[in-house]
Amino acid sequence: VGWNVVTGYLNSAARNLTNGQDQPEHDERYAICEEYMDVVYKLWNSSWRSDAVKLDRKTAVYTDPELVREINHKGKYFTVPGPHICQPSPQRTPVIMQAGTSTAGRAFAARHAEAIFVSTHSPAGVKDSVADVRAQMVKNGRDPAGLKVLAKFCPILGRTQEEADAKYRDLAQYGDYEGALALFGGWTGVDMAPYGEDEELRYVKSNAIQGYIKNLIRTAPDVNGGKWTKKTLAQHIMGEFVLTL
Amino acid sequence: MWLSTAKAGPRSDWCLTPLLKCVCPRDRHKSLIHTFTVHLADHVSGSGHQSPGLWKHPDDRSSDFNSVKHWINLAQQLEKGKFHGMFIADVLGGYDVYGDTLSHAAKSGAQWPVNEPLSLVPAMAAATESLGFGCTISTSYEQPYHLARRLSTVDHLTGGR
Repeated sequence: VGWNVVTGYLNSAARNLTNGQDQPEHDERYAICEEYMDVVYKLWNSSWRSDAVKLDRKTAVYTDPELVREINHKGKYFTVPGPHICQPSPQRTPVIMQAGTSTAGRAFAARHAEAIFVSTHSPAGVKDSVADVRAQMVKNGRDPAGLKVLAKFCPILGRTQEEADAKYRDLAQYGDYEGALALFGGWTGVDMAPYGEDEELRYVKSNAIQGYIKNLIRTAPDVNGGKWTKKTLAQHIMGEFVLTL
Repeated sequence: MWLSTAKAGPRSDWCLTPLLKCVCPRDRHKSLIHTFTVHLADHVSGSGHQSPGLWKHPDDRSSDFNSVKHWINLAQQLEKGKFHGMFIADVLGGYDVYGDTLSHAAKSGAQWPVNEPLSLVPAMAAATESLGFGCTISTSYEQPYHLARRLSTVDHLTGGR
């Protein structure tokens, strides 16, 4: 099994899971996550020897206690003595995946990820962040060729261009504008409700929006001539801008 | 091992932590990751995921997500179509930032409602031979001891897929 390691981004999750508190800030979440990985690696890889389970009916030994040990992890966020409660599984550590291109996210990927998710309209849009992760992997003593890059795309298939176009139009008519903006609000923490439909977002007084739009212009330069409005944003999320291949 | 066609080999015994603290342990076994293109199908254990509103399409079946048969059919179809793996995204709360309300997400079915993804994996693994599985899981709300156990269990039940 594979694990896409995330730290969460929704305060609605935090409020329900941490007795009403909002989530810790972004870099703190990654610091917690870093120690978290340390703990799970110890449990998976350092607690049981592969031959610890004997299942020996003659000697009446199920697990040899000498071959299972505690991890005695004591850190800033977690204290976990162990041992791990499961015997080693086929992979021990699941495939580690990561998504997100923040500075902390890229540093995390360079230490842990075997595969990263990227979202872009063209390879050029993610070239820099992939190169950065690979360069950091080298610094961490990892082989950068070991990293898989998983690019998101949603193909609409048809035997002919016309058939594909018709399928696309059929699907697109069901897209939900308010739902798209609801998703954007969750991903970014930015409420688009106060903004006008055709207001160009590059110029609004919000660092979060400006940063996000700057990123969109970089990863999807072909959309609406670089003019991003609330409407463009919703349409983009609903998948109304497609490339014909 | 869903990024690979090879069976997972034996892992080094309890020797990794002091050497590879905070670095991916599998780098020692990098032969497991092959250099072919990986085809993953992306889902969420709900109806909407990132295409809010498409559940209104007359042919849509995504709203069957509460049925385990729906997932088994999907997994078998993906395997037949030569996909290497299936990825299930997740969130632990509703999208309530826009307009300071959950109403838009609820009404449009934008990742709401959403079930827990790891529970689906053993059922799909039992109904397929080679399809691999990946899930989003947050490190912010669950103790590492507990999550390590959940993932070990599913890795056992899927035979490392």
